[in-house]
Amino acid sequence: MPGKIRKRSPLKAPERPYIALGLEGSANKLGAGIIKHSPDGSTEVLSNVRHTYITPPGEGFLPRDTAQHHRAWALTVINDALKTAEISLHDIDCICFTKGPGMGAPLTSVALVARTLSLLYNKPLVGVNHCVGHIEMGRQITGAKNPVVLYVSGGNTQVIAYSQQCYRIFGETLDIAVGNCLDRFARVINLSNDPSPGYNIEQEAKKGKRLLTLPYATKGMDVSLSGILTSVEAYTQDKRFRPDGPRNEADTDIITPQDLCFSLQETVFAMLVEITERAMAHIGSKEVLIVGGVGCNERLQEMMGVMATERGGQVFATDERFCIDNGIMIAQAGLLSYRMGFETPLAKSQCTQRFRTDQVHVAWRA
Amino acid sequence: MTLYPVLYHSNMSEFNTPTQRIIAAATLISQGAEAKVYKAELHPPAISGSTSDEGYESEPVLIKHRFNKQYRHPTLDASLTKSRVAGEARAINKCLRAGVNVPGVRMVDLQEGVLGIQWIDGQSIRFLLGGGAEGEEEVEEVDDDGFEEDATESNEDSLKEYNITQDDTMQLIGKEIAKMHKADIIHGDLTTSNMMLRRPSASDQVPELVLIDFGLSYTSSLVEDKAVDLYVLERAFASTHPASESLFGTVMKAYEKEAGKEWKTIGRRLDDVRLRGRKRSMIG
Ligand SMILES: Nc1ncnc2c1ncn2[C@@H]1O[C@H](COP(=O)(O)OP(=O)(O)O)[C@@H](O)[C@H]1O
Ligand SMILES: [Mg+2]
Repeated sequence: MPGKIRKRSPLKAPERPYIALGLEGSANKLGAGIIKHSPDGSTEVLSNVRHTYITPPGEGFLPRDTAQHHRAWALTVINDALKTAEISLHDIDCICFTKGPGMGAPLTSVALVARTLSLLYNKPLVGVNHCVGHIEMGRQITGAKNPVVLYVSGGNTQVIAYSQQCYRIFGETLDIAVGNCLDRFARVINLSNDPSPGYNIEQEAKKGKRLLTLPYATKGMDVSLSGILTSVEAYTQDKRFRPDGPRNEADTDIITPQDLCFSLQETVFAMLVEITERAMAHIGSKEVLIVGGVGCNERLQEMMGVMATERGGQVFATDERFCIDNGIMIAQAGLLSYRMGFETPLAKSQCTQRFRTDQVHVAWRA
Repeated sequence: MTLYPVLYHSNMSEFNTPTQRIIAAATLISQGAEAKVYKAELHPPAISGSTSDEGYESEPVLIKHRFNKQYRHPTLDASLTKSRVAGEARAINKCLRAGVNVPGVRMVDLQEGVLGIQWIDGQSIRFLLGGGAEGEEEVEEVDDDGFEEDATESNEDSLKEYNITQDDTMQLIGKEIAKMHKADIIHGDLTTSNMMLRRPSASDQVPELVLIDFGLSYTSSLVEDKAVDLYVLERAFASTHPASESLFGTVMKAYEKEAGKEWKTIGRRLDDVRLRGRKRSMIG
């Protein structure tokens, strides 16, 4: 049996405190965060500010409008972050920004801010992979050492595990992301986008009683979600569907929006927990870390916790401050690579909409 | 046709059913991806009228118990468990008829979610190739002294025990999967955890490659389904055994040879599937 292998981390303790600014804007959240790594090995969040672009019920966010939102709020959000951290831009070591993946226009608008600050204050740039940002922040906050990671957000659904300086993708969605699936359904039943459609689905699901049959589609460590979205939408055309609750007391064989939210969550989350468990069994890991916006769903956390307990393991998750896209995670991952000597030259600071998690060289881990 | 006892019962109280008694007496081997697996002794079915087992050797079996998953809704859990146990038994029998190396079914209990299959004396390919992050522990920022250099597992020794080279092992894998696909069986979860080498009975014999874990399998003659099956395995190799890149190539060569003229369309489709995988939107 491969025994406990102890590996030395290539990351040396810093000889002085290092401070990084992180800027994120790959989707509809604009975030700025400031992090500090100290010689004693400690990490401190000095500030973590976010502003979300919220659209009216039934509407998604479009790239152009989202980029416009980020441009309008960039200075306010960054100034807020600096003020809370009680530092000036002169005090920081590097400016980290999301290089991708994400929506082109919003990504580019934030990268432009990062480049401008870099030139104005003569600070190096560090381009960060958004997914790696989520993972590194999750590891930092929870203390999980070498977990299987379930990364669930509006644009991504992946089961990831670290090996040999790479976050390898073991399983993923074969079509749409889980957050996308939930958000689109929220729009179908006209739920509010404030604070987020996913949050409102979770609240509605708590009132649901009836589990309706939806296609359960796991393929090895992959999942397919588009069929479920189609089926759950189809129930809103069913004769028994009552968008406003039962018509009278005798009206019992009915389907409510709450039932649909409940069924959608129960089915989709069961699939996610199952593929995570497959990955755990396959690589022999007992820790799970949930990251990404859907990761703050408490029902998902609860289900994952039960599964982990059944395997004698443990689940790690964070709350909305770190789960939902934010600037601090970009600062954290960026500073880790900066301490390994990595910088992004201005000429190579363009964004990439498609930037896979497994394309990053994770130099800071053994 | 394979003959095995199908157990029915209505009493669900603890240890009251034959299946529960078998599990209670069995040794837990491991907890796999969706089941607890045990090693147990099972006597062959008594022929009606006979009262003793005399003359029958007791045979070890692997008991695969898909226990209640408390994390998911009980209705969903019950229906998934039933369909997977039944599906696995069906697929195994189909494989046997097509001459694919799989462990034979010895017992089915849909109510309890239990499948009993022939015991394979051997080890999983994942183990033999030394894949996975088992027990890795990272230590940050420590002094150099007193530190053992990362002892990378050499698994050549484990394969040597089986009288086989890594290359030949890969060929066995490719051949067995091709045989399975020719019978229009899609595995659904092809990973190196789900194939085993059977220990050769004599030192001058070569081991047999056995495919296991058919819980997600189904029947299909579609080129697409076969290509996706191979794509799943390719990714499993890349993520689990990143150091050994050429391995999957050898698997595919052997697959191609066994698949014969069908390879052309499957291979071409596999290229498509790969491309789709890379193109898949990756929006944060
Ligand atoms: N027939 C068998 N004989 C011996 N060991 C087996 C047999 N089948 C499975 N195993 C062992 O049990 C593990 C889990 O079995 P598997 O069928 O893959 O269940 P799961 O669906 O839980 O992954 C395998 O990886 C293998 O090591
Ligand atoms: Mg298995």
